[in-house]
Amino acid sequence: MIWEVFRQEEPGDYHRHVGNVHAPDREMAKQFAQIQHARRMQTNSLWVVPQSEIGEVDAEDAAFGGTTDKSYRWAMTYNDIDASFAEEVADSEAEQREAARKRREAMEEADD
Amino acid sequence: MIMDLETVKDRAGPRQFGPGDDMPEEYRKAATRMIQFHANSEVMGGYLDKEFTRKAPSLDRKLANTAKVQDEIGHAQLLYRAAETLGVKTRDEMLDELANGEGKFLNCFHYPVDTWYEAPMIDFFVDGGAMRRQATLKSTSWTPYAHAMDKVCFEEGFHVKHGESILRELMQGSKATQERTQETFEVWWPRIIQFFGPPNDESHHNDFAQDVGLKTATNDELRQSFLNMYIPKAEKYGLEIPDTPRIEYDEESGRYELAYDELDWDEFWTISKNEYPGSKEQIGSRRRRQEAVEWVRDALDSWESEATGVATGEAAD
Repeated sequence: MIWEVFRQEEPGDYHRHVGNVHAPDREMAKQFAQIQHARRMQTNSLWVVPQSEIGEVDAEDAAFGGTTDKSYRWAMTYNDIDASFAEEVADSEAEQREAARKRREAMEEADD
Repeated sequence: MIMDLETVKDRAGPRQFGPGDDMPEEYRKAATRMIQFHANSEVMGGYLDKEFTRKAPSLDRKLANTAKVQDEIGHAQLLYRAAETLGVKTRDEMLDELANGEGKFLNCFHYPVDTWYEAPMIDFFVDGGAMRRQATLKSTSWTPYAHAMDKVCFEEGFHVKHGESILRELMQGSKATQERTQETFEVWWPRIIQFFGPPNDESHHNDFAQDVGLKTATNDELRQSFLNMYIPKAEKYGLEIPDTPRIEYDEESGRYELAYDELDWDEFWTISKNEYPGSKEQIGSRRRRQEAVEWVRDALDSWESEATGVATGEAAD
């Protein structure tokens, strides 16, 4: 049986997918995950999840974010407004700008 | 790990505790009260905001408004999930409490809206204030709450900028439009100041929530930083700050000194008990809509119990 492994580095961090292990049951999956994925990397906590329990939808199946122009839901669209007056608004816009950039790059790559 | 209250206070810090920690009851109850209040406010804010979709003057504004309402309801879902991780109440219990009038939520969402001029009051000033507070909650000690704030803050920048864009548009409109906006601002301004609660010494829950790291900023700190940022914004667009309550900027301390006694605290405390006429109207109208789509929840629940053999009653609302 295959178990997907998620590692959290520090308390309060997100658990991030780091790989998987073969194991006959949950207890051994936790053992193997420790050995394979937490021996050197800084680790606060591990999750193991049976691979068969994970549902997936990918870019082949779905047009994530839609196929029509939805620029109205992005902070950058309102570019006559200066967000710099409030740090949290500026941060949010910067995060959205970065997300939009990655999304655009992925779409351009797919077109090539 | 089992923790007593002293250990919790010693270890309190950003994202220090999570579902794997055996937290004392006082902590779990205080965190539940705070996150449930926040989740309820997202629901009630979303319901208030959806009124603006019909009143929006252009298709662009309608689209942006529906996207915003969708975000707010999504925030409520994230927050009810974060609250559930404390093991005090289920989501169903919290939603029932909101419907039957026990659930508490932010003062500004107890005032029904009926004009587009009110849109920037909510979408710029109230959302801007909420975002100030939410940015500080990224450092709350309950990790699932902090994680919810990561996503909420990522999205809110659009809301606040869109709200400011509406204000800008109105204040560049005809003289009559500018006057209506100013009149609306005068009605909302005291409510917006009260959004941050009473002065610190009158707040009931502040000290404990700060001692255990749930809150990282006081009401007064948040209100001061809000006034520092948003008074110049209001003035930039030509809004005049109303005379009541008196606000004076003290150059030396860098603080806005407020005449708190000029605010209507009777109304504020009536609202905090859900007993204001607007409270009943807003809670009732949401309850009726919740009831109207009960068949959807029932269908999801019966589908889930057929698929899993377990009835959970936990379908999305």
